[in-house]
Amino acid sequence: MKLSVIGAGYVGLTTAACLAQIGHDVFCSESDVEKLAKLQSGIMPFFEPNLEDVIKGVCNAGRLTFGSTEEAIAWGTVIFICVGTPPLANGDADLSSIENAARTIAKRASGYRLVIEKSTVPVQTGSQLRKYLAANRTNGLKYDVASNPEFLREGSSVEDFLHPERIVVGVDSPSAEEILREIYQPVISQSFTCPIHPNCAKRNEPVFLVTDTGSAELIKHASNSFLAMKISFINMVANLCETVGADVTKVAQGMGLDSRIGPSFLNPGIGFGGFCFPKDVQAFIRIAEKAGCDFALLREVEKINQGRIGHLVEKVRNELWVIRGKKIAVWGLAFKPNTDDVRFAPSIALIESLLSEGAKVSAYDPEAMDKAKAVLPNITYCSDPYKAAEGTEAIVVVTEWDEFRRIAWTRIKSVIERPLIIDGRNMLDAKVVADQGFQYVSVGRPSVIPAEARSAEREGPVLAAQDQTAGAMAD
Amino acid sequence: MRIAVVGSGYVGLVAGACFADIGHEVILVDNDRQKVAALTQGQVPIHEKFLPELLERHRGHRLTFSGDLHAAVEASDAVFIAVGTPSTERGDADLSYVESVARGISGAINRYKVVVEKSTVPVYTSEWIRKIILRNAAAPDSFDVASNPEFMREGTAVSDFFYTDRIVIGADSERCTAMLREIYAPLTDGSYYQRPDAIPRPDRAQIPPPMVVTSTKSAELLKHACNAFLAMKISFINAVASVCELVGADVHQVCLGIGTDSRIGSRFLNPGIGYGGSCFPKDLRAFRAVAREHGYEFRLLDEVMLINEDQRRRFLHKVHSALWTLRGKRLAVLGLAFKGGTDDIRESPAILVTQMLLQEGCQVAAYDPAAKERAREVFGSAVEFADNPYDAARGADCHRWTQSL
Repeated sequence: MKLSVIGAGYVGLTTAACLAQIGHDVFCSESDVEKLAKLQSGIMPFFEPNLEDVIKGVCNAGRLTFGSTEEAIAWGTVIFICVGTPPLANGDADLSSIENAARTIAKRASGYRLVIEKSTVPVQTGSQLRKYLAANRTNGLKYDVASNPEFLREGSSVEDFLHPERIVVGVDSPSAEEILREIYQPVISQSFTCPIHPNCAKRNEPVFLVTDTGSAELIKHASNSFLAMKISFINMVANLCETVGADVTKVAQGMGLDSRIGPSFLNPGIGFGGFCFPKDVQAFIRIAEKAGCDFALLREVEKINQGRIGHLVEKVRNELWVIRGKKIAVWGLAFKPNTDDVRFAPSIALIESLLSEGAKVSAYDPEAMDKAKAVLPNITYCSDPYKAAEGTEAIVVVTEWDEFRRIAWTRIKSVIERPLIIDGRNMLDAKVVADQGFQYVSVGRPSVIPAEARSAEREGPVLAAQDQTAGAMAD
Repeated sequence: MRIAVVGSGYVGLVAGACFADIGHEVILVDNDRQKVAALTQGQVPIHEKFLPELLERHRGHRLTFSGDLHAAVEASDAVFIAVGTPSTERGDADLSYVESVARGISGAINRYKVVVEKSTVPVYTSEWIRKIILRNAAAPDSFDVASNPEFMREGTAVSDFFYTDRIVIGADSERCTAMLREIYAPLTDGSYYQRPDAIPRPDRAQIPPPMVVTSTKSAELLKHACNAFLAMKISFINAVASVCELVGADVHQVCLGIGTDSRIGSRFLNPGIGYGGSCFPKDLRAFRAVAREHGYEFRLLDEVMLINEDQRRRFLHKVHSALWTLRGKRLAVLGLAFKGGTDDIRESPAILVTQMLLQEGCQVAAYDPAAKERAREVFGSAVEFADNPYDAARGADCHRWTQSL
């Protein structure tokens, strides 16, 4: 089928590439001229595993072309709108890019078009789109509007598109449902050639859920808000564990085995970040507010998340006492591993906070340093984690990059000023680092002091006692 | 192994019968002589699937009933405390029963014993139990205190014991951990499930169940955290349902859409009149009190509770908007238990809503397949109790169903 995709951001580019991969002829538009030129000459605008290979393949096969919005609208009878909807200062989603796309469609398109909102938009955007097209159409345009929320995760978006758990389509006409079912048929039956694992076993067929437009729009907000709530909940439990001397890892394990709860998103840490969760939670609060419903539960979720950075800085302060003038290494800048995205990444707020207290920060991230340089110009960027650790008094682990699990700790020990690790993601093996002589502070667990320091402590002043556990059981 | 279970309430009775079924010698202790006598004679005081069979199977053999705590503890290797921990007015758990049992145990420690909290208790309770037993002159190495929270749900408690998602053991010594492992060995090594007379396996159950071994404090916290999370899941979807009503979306479709995300899961995503029962409201209050005691305001839980209270008001509002005025109208209430499959009406939303309706001057005819007698204790003659839903609905202006969770 001839399909058009408007917008070549994370969502748009992944959608366009994967739709082409499953056999459609796709035209993808981008309004940023510079970005468009890059795409047309085969340069990726961001890092995303497998995406570059998929794009190369489908471009070579002639199934994916890049160009202007006008060209895209002329191309296909089905138009996916994948433009950005960043939050405005008041928390509302900025829908002007969607309106721009709708305006062009109303002006340029003739015949029938199925207009699909793929960007995360507030509920009732579908009906607004419908009204807009009705009022502004020319050339006798006939149209349907559908909602088809994406559930892509940065870092695994190609995999998520091709092997989803569910495909949600919000439609108000049988013909729109039929077209969407046909578009996704290869994914529904898992019958396409998988570009990631050529010999991969056939995966579970996803649920194809057909709803009305409004419900589909809400599903996206509700899903992301729920997951954000799950993270904030376990972070709150982590705080409590720190106070009473329990181990949040075990608590999370026991909770996660409950089939009504499930183990995902029960990792305590420095909070959720990235472009989706904070934005979607905020948007859901606004949607509810506008509908006359105070979703205070989600406001608490936000508040807990906002407190996470301060909580981690407090851990740093607890160990280093005075922060001013001290050198601190930060490992990981991206908001999560396998992406170079630093938008709303906790690393930014953390580093800004450390800088404001006078720390000198040296940072390392395998992918995100270029993007971080624009936001954080006043720190030292290092080419590997060892250089970043040189001469520092603490390593703060911020992003769960797999390579941090394979560090040669003896090498770090020889270059670091003080063997102290503050793990904001609970990703390292406490025993391994303690055996190498590091003091290890993590989230929601008692901190681990290496054997040599423990023996010194008995003789001399307190080195790094877990002061939080004491005193709670005064008899 | 010889096990004493203290408290023959809901948790104690089910746990005692199930321990007997996996091969242990169990003495079930209760200070209520009448209850002990009734159990000995073969009465089954609660409505719970498979419980009558298990009691019948083991009563007088591997399961005996007694009012003598001292003798029961002396005769046992492990003592499970399963007494009630109701909410105090401030919302924290009332641990006075636990304390008096601990005192009773301390005088009866004649050899090494493991004292296990089975009731849902706040973190640090195990340390208090330990202190109390020590204070009453037991030797420090003659006992250990452990936590082994139960995850039974009323209505399916017996099945839940055998086919649990996980067994959690909180213990702080090797010896104690080993003893608890031994108690649950017939489940964790799978041998129980080979037996022809094993309680039948429910559809989704994974066997053998995994075991989580942790510190007592982590185990104590875990139970509260689980129930608080599940209550939060219910309140979340109830709040989403309110938004759906306001914007004209369909919450059931939304539930399908988010429940198919494996990181969320479809269970506990049924919107309705709110959670109730003897666990969620109490555990939520207790968990908040635990946090507060340690200097944390767990406001997320406040919001969960507020949404839950609001659900009842919203429900009443729906009755109002359907019927306009309520005084003198005859309404049928179908369902009184806090959920299906049980006769438990503690903190049941159905009871609270019925009370609200009575206050508004309605005549209420109620039907519940199991909870009628318990509800009669609350309402007396203020509510007319019908023998079937049709009688209840006869001549009614409106009836309501209790959503089962």
